Amino acid sequence: MEKIEEGKVLRRDNETTDMALFVRTSDEQFSGWDRQRIVDALIRETEVDVVTAQEISREVEELIASSTISMVTSPLIRELVDAKLIERGLEQERKRHTRLGMPLYDVDQLILHPNKENANVPHGPEATNLTLAERIKKEYALLSVFSEEVADAHMRGDIHLHDLGFIDRPYCSGQSLEYIKRFGLSLPNSIAMAKPAKHAEVLLAHMVKFAAALQSNFAGAIGWDAVNLFFAPYLVGMRDEEIKQLAQMMIFEFSQQAVARGGQAIFTDLNLYWEIPRHFEDVPAIGPMGKYTGKTYSQYEHEAQRFAWFLFEVFKEGDGSGRPFFFPKPLVHITEKFFRTRGHMEFLHHICDVASEKGNTYFVFDRGETAKVSECCRLSFKLDASDLEDAKQPWKMRYCALQNVTLNLPRIGYLSGGDDRSLFERIEEFMDMAVRAHLEKKTFIEKLLSCGENGPLALLAMERDGSSYLRMHRASYLIGMVGLNELVQIHTGRQMSESKEPFKFGLKVIAHMKLLTDQLSERHGMHFVLEQTPAESTAYRFAKLDLQYHKQEAPRVVKGDISHGEVYYTNSTYLNNSAVMNPIERVRQEGLFHPLIEAGALTHIWLGETKPSKESLANFVMKTFKQTQNDQIAFSPEFTTCNRCHRTSRGLAEVCSYCGSRDVDGITRITGYFTRISSWNKGKIGELRDRYRNQGFLRVEGRDERSEGEKVFQIQRP
Amino acid sequence: MGAVKIFTKEQCPKCPAAKDVGDRLKMTGVKVIDYDLGTIEGLAEAAFYGVMATPTIIVEDGEDNELASWRGTVPTSQEIEEMLRADGLFSP
Repeated sequence: MEKIEEGKVLRRDNETTDMALFVRTSDEQFSGWDRQRIVDALIRETEVDVVTAQEISREVEELIASSTISMVTSPLIRELVDAKLIERGLEQERKRHTRLGMPLYDVDQLILHPNKENANVPHGPEATNLTLAERIKKEYALLSVFSEEVADAHMRGDIHLHDLGFIDRPYCSGQSLEYIKRFGLSLPNSIAMAKPAKHAEVLLAHMVKFAAALQSNFAGAIGWDAVNLFFAPYLVGMRDEEIKQLAQMMIFEFSQQAVARGGQAIFTDLNLYWEIPRHFEDVPAIGPMGKYTGKTYSQYEHEAQRFAWFLFEVFKEGDGSGRPFFFPKPLVHITEKFFRTRGHMEFLHHICDVASEKGNTYFVFDRGETAKVSECCRLSFKLDASDLEDAKQPWKMRYCALQNVTLNLPRIGYLSGGDDRSLFERIEEFMDMAVRAHLEKKTFIEKLLSCGENGPLALLAMERDGSSYLRMHRASYLIGMVGLNELVQIHTGRQMSESKEPFKFGLKVIAHMKLLTDQLSERHGMHFVLEQTPAESTAYRFAKLDLQYHKQEAPRVVKGDISHGEVYYTNSTYLNNSAVMNPIERVRQEGLFHPLIEAGALTHIWLGETKPSKESLANFVMKTFKQTQNDQIAFSPEFTTCNRCHRTSRGLAEVCSYCGSRDVDGITRITGYFTRISSWNKGKIGELRDRYRNQGFLRVEGRDERSEGEKVFQIQRP
Repeated sequence: MGAVKIFTKEQCPKCPAAKDVGDRLKMTGVKVIDYDLGTIEGLAEAAFYGVMATPTIIVEDGEDNELASWRGTVPTSQEIEEMLRADGLFSP
């Protein structure tokens, strides 16, 4: 910013204006007025000809000189120059000349108030930094990385480009511990290199640090494959107390990483197996100091199982206040071999006990030949033949999704006017736009990666095993969907849970999308896959935009409470959240979509304050595995945590049942993770009110521990 | 009145045999519906019945309820006819 000194004096001749004027620049300096700087910037940034640049600079100078402005700043000058470019119809030049940033008022609000776009971001200076950076990178992405057509489609809400604030990184990833076990912790730009770990605690330290480094290079989740198995060679000879201690360290380390990027906990997924997965059975095990132990992983089943068991003991105990851990997320793979492995029923009861008590457990179903690495809210990387070959050298098993683009399905419904042909054509148009967005992001990321270990994505470009850490040729490009239920409702007049015909129409829509992704993958030589977008904020954003753009139809379709702005679309291919149905039937019906959604799908079973018996949940899990196609399920209890006495009780209550304080907060699963309800956006609050909590369907052992507090399901409005 | 639903796709070695079975059943008056998994209708219907392998033959009761299925295998047309007769769905 620049300041005009008092007694502004202008002295003009033909070429120069001597203005006793100072400009506050973004370099934190006062600069003397120099019109030539406008000319230089215009030529450098927009490539207009010299004559035009000089004309504009003179006009801007005159405007300032004739004004009563008492303070001149660089942004102001830039805006005045932009206005002159517009007057001349130089739209592209104006775009290139754009200044990115935020209004003072917005920054003020941001610093003072929490961000509700992502409930995993706390409020604090680091979080503010993150949000400020995200805002600028978002603008940069929409102006400079993506074409105008793609950017406009996002702005209109036809599609949603996820994590625009992290435009210079891939979306999320699946990792193998074997990489750091074999190569140690040797990161580009690091001031010290660590050799492969000798002890389990050191391996854990490497894992946590590497996870933090990865968080700085990916927008979203970091998932770790077969964690208990890959730790196993380090656990030989350790006593139970020592293994439990290690399990505690691992969970607390990842749950207390809220000092990492932007104060945001690392979204960590631990893939766990009770059995030795078939693709790792004969793989030579790597042990302390990165050396082969002379055994295969099949010989470490006992240690792997002990570690998995103790991890769940820690999950069951919860944090220091008895609350469920929000991160890391434990994902247990249920396979045919699981049911043939000794002790599986005890383990199943153990993890179901945790699911009922704290909700942490995710049950991932790998039927038949399927093997996968799961992460994020539901994303999974299915392993094909070449991956299973890579499994012989597991450090190669590094996967990423480069970007996620979600389609606003209800929008397609509004635009199609009930005509099948038009509807299917529009789906194709929206998919084409999503693919275009993927191509543009891919080009951008490839540009950054081409700078190698001296570039901005040095970590992803490092080549410790002879190939780039980020294996671009194995990258997935996600295409998500929001509001299938509402699209079907708009198009057929009924929601999917109401009868078979609308349900089958929903299947046709997703089948169409699946076939299109296959065709597009072949055409572009890229791996486009459907994913159930978690849509934590997208389901809210699309609903709000459609209430604006489709004023007549949307109010009849959008879910939630319009009068309070708590609106949302039903997520992905889910059935209506409030539909009263047997949970196993919901799991079965929603699961029929899952084989079409290759990159991950999940069914939630909302428990409310119900605490089902572990036997009942184990039975439910077995039925799901054997009688349905469902890919993944999670049981979600609700809790009330007191901000005064710090104790936690079951169910959502307005008053602490222990101390009577009204200063309480609810905790439950928002999309694919637990968090405090006070951090949720309004759309998700609307959904929370609607969730059907399956009371009466799951057998409860004994009476629930209801206390005297008000266990009334009410979520306070701010 | 039910139907026999046959799910096939291109480049599936056993699918021609399943189609032949379907053709034979059609000649005896059985309602047979063919679904190609490379089409929207076919893939959606396959998803509805949880078809994970081709060929798959499903006998349904007219209300989309599955009465019998052969997944990844091909029965003879006689086997299917017998099954239909047993369930009273077919009386040529």
